[in-house]
Amino acid sequence: MTNRNGTFGDVMVVGGGMSGIQAALDLASSGYKVYLVEKDPTIGGKMAQLDKTFPTNDCSMCIESPKFIECDRHPNIEIMTYTEVDSVEGEAGDFDVTLIKKPRYVDEDICTGCTTCVEYCPIKIPDPFNQNLSDNKATHIYFSQAVPLVPYIDEECIKLKDGKCTICEGVCKNKAIDFSQKAEKQVVKVGAIVLSPGYGAFDPGRRGDYGYGTIPNVVTSLDFERLLCATGPHEGEILRPSDHKHPHKIAWIHCVGSRQILEGGHSYCSSVCCSYVQKQVILSKDHDADTEAWVFHNDIRSFGKDFERFYKRAENLPGVKFVRSYVEIGREIPETNNVTIRYSTNGEGVKEEEFDLVVLGIGLAPPANVERISAQFGIELNEHGFCKTNSVNPIETTRPGVFVSGAFQGPMDIPESVMSASGANALAGALLKARRGKLDTERIYPEERDVTEEEVKIGVFTCHCGANIGRVVNIPEVTEYAGGLENVAHAEEGLFICSTDAAEQIATTIREKGLNRVVVAACTPRTHEPLFRDTLREGGINQYFFDMANIREHCSWVHSKQKEEATAKAKDIIRMSVARSIGLEPLQEFELPVNKAALVVGGGVAGMNAALGLANQGFEVHLVEKQEVLGGMARRIQTTLEGLDAHAYVEDLIRQVYQHQLIRVYHSATITDASGYVGSFVTAVESEGRTTEIKHGATILATGAEEHRPTEYLYGEDERVLTQLELEERLARDDGTIAAARRLVMIQCVGCREEGRDYCARVCCSQAIKNALKLKALKPEMDIYVLYRDMRTYGFKEDKYFEAAENGVRFVRWEPERTNGRPTVEPGTDEEGKPILQVSVFDHVLGQQLVLDADLLALSAAVVPSPGNPEIARLFKVPVNPDGFFQEAHVKLRPVDFAADGVFMCGANHYPKHLSEAVSQAYGAAGRAVTLLSHDTVTASGSVCEVNEAACIACGACIDACTYDAIQWKGKGVNKKAAVNPALCKGDGLCCSNCPTDAIILRHFTNEEVYNQIDAALSESWSSTREEAGA
Amino acid sequence: MTSVEMVTPLAEIVDEINDAGGDAFKYCFQCGKCDVVCPWNRVRPFSIRKIVWQAALGLPEIELDEIWRCTTCGMCPAACPRGVEQIEVGVAIRRIAAAYDVYPASVAGLSAAGSSLAGDGNPLNEKREDRTAWAKDLSIKQFTEGMEILFFVGCYYSYDPRLQKAAVATANILNKAGVDFGILGNQESCCGESIRKTGNEEVFKTLAKENIKAFIDNGVKRVLVASPHCYHTFKNEYSEFMVNFEVVHISQFLQELIEHGRLELSAEFKKKVTFHDPCYLGRHNGIYDQPRDVLKRLEGLELLEMPDTREKSLCCGGGGGRIWAETPKEERFSDLRVAQAVQVGADVLATSCPYCISNFEESALSLEGENKLEIKDITEVLFEALSGNGGAE
Repeated sequence: MTNRNGTFGDVMVVGGGMSGIQAALDLASSGYKVYLVEKDPTIGGKMAQLDKTFPTNDCSMCIESPKFIECDRHPNIEIMTYTEVDSVEGEAGDFDVTLIKKPRYVDEDICTGCTTCVEYCPIKIPDPFNQNLSDNKATHIYFSQAVPLVPYIDEECIKLKDGKCTICEGVCKNKAIDFSQKAEKQVVKVGAIVLSPGYGAFDPGRRGDYGYGTIPNVVTSLDFERLLCATGPHEGEILRPSDHKHPHKIAWIHCVGSRQILEGGHSYCSSVCCSYVQKQVILSKDHDADTEAWVFHNDIRSFGKDFERFYKRAENLPGVKFVRSYVEIGREIPETNNVTIRYSTNGEGVKEEEFDLVVLGIGLAPPANVERISAQFGIELNEHGFCKTNSVNPIETTRPGVFVSGAFQGPMDIPESVMSASGANALAGALLKARRGKLDTERIYPEERDVTEEEVKIGVFTCHCGANIGRVVNIPEVTEYAGGLENVAHAEEGLFICSTDAAEQIATTIREKGLNRVVVAACTPRTHEPLFRDTLREGGINQYFFDMANIREHCSWVHSKQKEEATAKAKDIIRMSVARSIGLEPLQEFELPVNKAALVVGGGVAGMNAALGLANQGFEVHLVEKQEVLGGMARRIQTTLEGLDAHAYVEDLIRQVYQHQLIRVYHSATITDASGYVGSFVTAVESEGRTTEIKHGATILATGAEEHRPTEYLYGEDERVLTQLELEERLARDDGTIAAARRLVMIQCVGCREEGRDYCARVCCSQAIKNALKLKALKPEMDIYVLYRDMRTYGFKEDKYFEAAENGVRFVRWEPERTNGRPTVEPGTDEEGKPILQVSVFDHVLGQQLVLDADLLALSAAVVPSPGNPEIARLFKVPVNPDGFFQEAHVKLRPVDFAADGVFMCGANHYPKHLSEAVSQAYGAAGRAVTLLSHDTVTASGSVCEVNEAACIACGACIDACTYDAIQWKGKGVNKKAAVNPALCKGDGLCCSNCPTDAIILRHFTNEEVYNQIDAALSESWSSTREEAGA
Repeated sequence: MTSVEMVTPLAEIVDEINDAGGDAFKYCFQCGKCDVVCPWNRVRPFSIRKIVWQAALGLPEIELDEIWRCTTCGMCPAACPRGVEQIEVGVAIRRIAAAYDVYPASVAGLSAAGSSLAGDGNPLNEKREDRTAWAKDLSIKQFTEGMEILFFVGCYYSYDPRLQKAAVATANILNKAGVDFGILGNQESCCGESIRKTGNEEVFKTLAKENIKAFIDNGVKRVLVASPHCYHTFKNEYSEFMVNFEVVHISQFLQELIEHGRLELSAEFKKKVTFHDPCYLGRHNGIYDQPRDVLKRLEGLELLEMPDTREKSLCCGGGGGRIWAETPKEERFSDLRVAQAVQVGADVLATSCPYCISNFEESALSLEGENKLEIKDITEVLFEALSGNGGAE
């Protein structure tokens, strides 16, 4: 094997956006050598350009960039940027990939990222990272957190153009500039390929949509992301292009390039725009509370988890208006460069409104040069130019051994991209299971320095976070202040302390200056603590000698208008952190053994696929199903909207599960007890009269969901009223009721998007359309009306909405907000005197009450969480959200993980989803579980509780307080003491605050450490700095 | 609560509209884009969306003015994301109304035009034998087989005194270029385009058949038309009768003559000219560049563009049979268009459609002083220049 020379690996991930990064990390953590190939000069993709992410408004770069560094530091990942694939030969298990590394004219190995060349470069070019809204130099680093953090030289460089300028060569001390670089070919052998090329943004300039390209104050949503962002062209000030003034009245136009059969547009729905527009509205209001925001749309598609609440949140902000109309630009007003928009109303004609800025909600397109991708990789494309995928498992392409993750499958949001990336790990893992671990490289850290005898030497690193902190807090002043604090041996500021070079710099400084404590004054430990702890290990000191002073969330973001006071507060926060760090102790993390078996709870489509995903990679699986048979909800589904025979699929899946040697199925099973911790779970399962104690290292919950039983619209009172699932069953059974029916009405959103169940059940619009199409195929003359609020046929499903309309299905919108806006149903008779159901609904276009005769009424009833969820949640100590679905660890980047280590979820218990989405998430859960199961041990935190037995009075207060069952009794009589199982302890400290004798302490948060911090807060300098600042 | 009228969809009316060719209503998802781009909504509220939706439910209000408003300008079908053929839907409803012979007062003229067309082959209540009166001072031949091209003059160019000037200009240019052309004389009938849009399918068919017969009888292979409406119906609708002959619009033909060196254009026209794209030339048939290219050949001519140009050209209001309807002064699109021409500083508003010229002439009447605007057919501009009268006044 020739892995040393870097041409032999296990998997190549093509595309370094969020999906590719996740795929690379999961594969690498599962014991595979990964090549991560990216065409741009850095990894990061589109997510790096976003300001915040919906529906949590997390800072996009802040949650993504730690992953860059994780990739960079992972011994099993080789990142190849500015590199394109030339050709792919061979077959699954044995591919030869020819790569072309484009010349960046900077030697990556020599360059230190000092940016002197950037400073001296005389040529300005529009900055692609900032959507060309600002300039950068012809030689520049793509963005501050880029990995690798090395400049590249753009083709606009005058040296490259006519050989004239050599300034950069002259100023580079390391002689890293190399204009002799040529494109280099390299062949890499891998066993599998994961394609994650992402998406292209629809370019409204090509058709001149809405004046884009000619009217300066019409920008795209991606442009607007950059305008919002602190690292954007105006450091986070929203300034409009024409005059760099603050726009106070902003319009958003939906579906730009999407949902249209017009030349140059896309017929599908881009799935993400509705929510990102709401995000931009909320953020604009955050920037300036007086902003007036108008959103022009035709259906708001808030179909994802927590999207509906997010929509309501945006809609309920003062000065925000959602207007249902596609629009046209009226004109640009020459004097002000304001733009008018013409929109339609029902009954009041067309109105025109003037705006300071117009933002185009541009859709998602296939990646650029997609035809080339298709030819190179030998994969087929679908009719929209996205990757053609297996109709059941969207991670599979048409070529074995080539998998696809992320938005190249079709429009999707970040969590779905991440799920599919983890899923690609499971599929590639099954293909390459024999090779797992063969090329695995251990990370080597320098030996840890014993600092016990040293005097305390603290290094403080203060971060500008671009303009996020630096624009509010006077960082130079704060840094100088920090340098003067007792025990501080070094204080230094940086633009982004989290960037690769800055982190390396910390490690170097630790070594060179002999630092033994490090304080980083920047953002939140939630996202960045692991990165800096790792940096301390690189620097050769114990990672627990680190403390983070949050001067962003706790300071600059909340005091953005009070700069002086914020600066004073930042000093306080740092002083406290420094004081705390003095008392920090070195702690050792410990290794827990990992049982290689997994438990999957739930034998529906998600559970069975998760089980197969694991078993096919060689892991033993215990599959527990509460029913007598496998299949779950999918048993009630006949076909999918896309036409897949769901019955045949489920039967085949069940057969595969039963035939698999590594899967053991427990039917009619109840879980009676669950204990243990990551790597070593023990679960008691009662099945068919026997109780089995299952030992397993990982747990996947796939407990599914149910169809809501409506209480309205005569359901349960009149047999002609059915749910969609019942209609589907009726269609399959063919009992004559369908044949006899001439007129059928469907009502959407029954039992959801309302008080008490304030979420969209995601699948019902497609379900209604599926049934309507089936009915129309059966009986073309049947009159079918769908009464809807917003048709939410996202993604390619929009084509089916079109098809239903084409087949004569009529869609009438209703609004619950309107007085008597809800449809009503009552028994009646038709013209011929036949008994019918009379459905009445107000029609907005007609301005009249539409009365429809129906022989059958189908209710699109909500999908509700399984009633067993609370019990499962209790047993496995995992949280549910307010709607009763399981709550993932991180909405965006850990969509199948629970916060509890070793427990994962997939399928409809996470949120309602379609069959193929459940499959994708199931493989995602399997992929994540394998990152754990493929190791013999797992590392547990050193920050756990400990009992001082001498002080323990055995009162049990700590045992009552602990929600993780991490504390047990040990000994008897006078020797009876509380004892902590460190593997279970999550370090939340609840026990400590309940202990009457301070006998139980939390390492890393000892009383001494916390008191130091508090004392520092109340120290004299506190009041004096406050006075100086004039508070 | 105010009482809301209750209605029940009428399946048989839906079927009727379907049969009349309006079935594309089914695609409508009520986004409102059609209303937004509709020129009516610049002068008064009018909802083509509502008309489409009424058709979808079998609830058209055939007794109201609304169904007669659409000028078939083609803005909404071009912008519609779902491919709803609003014009066809509207015409289908008009067919039903026409079958019932229901016309509100504002469109009473449709009835008269229909009778005139049925009787004399023109909508202007003129005699068939007067169709060649415009050419009496010119030596224009009757078309005979073997001639290069048939000049199909069209009703307005033949009868309307203002437009006769344009017909004369056209004939003179053709002569100057040495084109071997002829006319059908009294055998020419109205092309029938506009009457068809009013739902009068019967008269359209009669007219079409008459013209087709005349073409065949005379051995016509290539037809030159001055009106985009003739162009449209010959090119896109006569094919329904399974005939095939080449149609060329005057703007295309002029460009062809110039390119082949048959027409020398070393003439000057020292004025600011703006070109108005007629709906049926531009949006319906994609001809935007040829008339501009021709005008730009003239020395000294400064070509200006109005705000709503090319694909987004603002309708004059004369299509879809509206040329025969009564439109109150404040609701005329042509007033807006003429104002646009004045606003960009044009001396001449040139176009290439008889309806546009008629409407613009009327709208331009109220312009005074500096805002005076000449309305011209492009052939008139050209002929003026060729005659040496193209200097600035």
